[in-house]
Amino acid sequence: MSVRIIMKLFVETREQLDHDVVRIAFRHPTRPQLPIWTPGAHVDVRLGDGKIRQYSLTSDPSDLSRYAIIVKREMDGRGGSDFIHEYFTEGTHVRVSMPRNNFKLAKGRGVLIAGGIGVTPLISMGRALSQSKMLESFHFCSKTSRPSIEGELSQFCGDSLSTYFSNDSDSQRLNVASLIENLSSDLHIYCCGPERLMSEVKYLTSDWNPDQLHFEAFNAPEERSQKAEPFDVTVSSTGETLRVSESQSILDVLRVAGYVIPSSCRQGICGTCECGYTSGEVIHRDSILSPDARQDRIMPCVSRARVSVTLDL
Amino acid sequence: MSWTGKLLHIHIAPEASHEMEELKEAELVAGKGIVGDRYYLGLGTYSPKPDCREVTLIEREALDALSRDDPPMQGSSIHVDPSEHRRNLTVEGVPLNHLVGYRFRIGEVILSGGRLNFPCRYLEHLLDRPVFLPLYNRSGLNCWIEQGGIIRPGDAIIPLNEVTDKPHR
Repeated sequence: MSVRIIMKLFVETREQLDHDVVRIAFRHPTRPQLPIWTPGAHVDVRLGDGKIRQYSLTSDPSDLSRYAIIVKREMDGRGGSDFIHEYFTEGTHVRVSMPRNNFKLAKGRGVLIAGGIGVTPLISMGRALSQSKMLESFHFCSKTSRPSIEGELSQFCGDSLSTYFSNDSDSQRLNVASLIENLSSDLHIYCCGPERLMSEVKYLTSDWNPDQLHFEAFNAPEERSQKAEPFDVTVSSTGETLRVSESQSILDVLRVAGYVIPSSCRQGICGTCECGYTSGEVIHRDSILSPDARQDRIMPCVSRARVSVTLDL
Repeated sequence: MSWTGKLLHIHIAPEASHEMEELKEAELVAGKGIVGDRYYLGLGTYSPKPDCREVTLIEREALDALSRDDPPMQGSSIHVDPSEHRRNLTVEGVPLNHLVGYRFRIGEVILSGGRLNFPCRYLEHLLDRPVFLPLYNRSGLNCWIEQGGIIRPGDAIIPLNEVTDKPHR
């Protein structure tokens, strides 16, 4: 499991980057320095209406006086970005978790592929790769031109940056197949964006070493259409076996039974409720566990099992 | 028992998982907790569970032992700052494990030991440091507040050598 301490920060600045994109910078009211973080990390932001949302840190990790996030207003989203755009003004107090990183940089040169607002974790990662002269190329796809984000990227990418705007007839489209085909196989690929983009990159790199492929979903994948079936969950420390109905999650059932399991996103994205399992055929529905980790780790907020599973709790 | 200890730090958190805030003085309310703390407010991680948790203490000497890897069971030294261990009071020179069932005084306040604190995986995950095993049997003391009042860092802590009427185990 992965819980994090929550800090009460305040909005130091709010900068309108585009008509639907803002950059929010947080500071601590009393401490000059915030906890350290690494490129690709995100924080949980608690919204005043009780929701918790994850946002990648886009500032420079060497400047710990503030954390910055970039938020696009998604009118048909789940309401988090709408709330931030509406209510996060300068001076607003906001509960923000200490950072966690499910999207770490590996050693070696990297190619970054961003789709839309999925660019946010890749900003700090691209900056770090560039500073260490390990940035091979940065590919930013968007429906429309985003001058403020392009400006930020070009500051550290230089000639390594390529942009693609699908609604602009003068702009080229990213040919993912051609890009991948021409990459040296010792590179690391980091990709964040819509599920369709990430699926294409995954498909085209299916013969790559999985250790060189790094993805972060900012929406839950749409592969959960499979009909849920009931199953049993056993807690190894107590021996108790509980029934998970087709409409419940493992997390819900454990909590009703009195087990203390922290959770946050309930979408299999944030990693807060992660725990181990010792037996059973697990149907993984999260977006962050690697194939190796899935051998003995599970996200009980979304993942299920066939017949039964024993959790290492 | 004859010893005199000292209160070093006072910390509270407004809600479960929130960072601890250091206080220069605190008001302790008998039967409730420290004003402003998550367990006083009923907002702690373990608030729904009936238990002795009005105020929690830990020894500075236990934290020192962790930082020098003593005993050498944790791989390397682990530094835990007084703002991180999530107990309310960090004390020095107080044999907490001997105070289960006994009254003792901090400044004008009288506490009694309800039970030994037990390390939890929750803290380990919160800190992202392997503190569970090293804190075994020195994770501190959960106390009842028998007589409320104001406490401040530097207050003397003395045993009263009286058995409490409060539940203890």
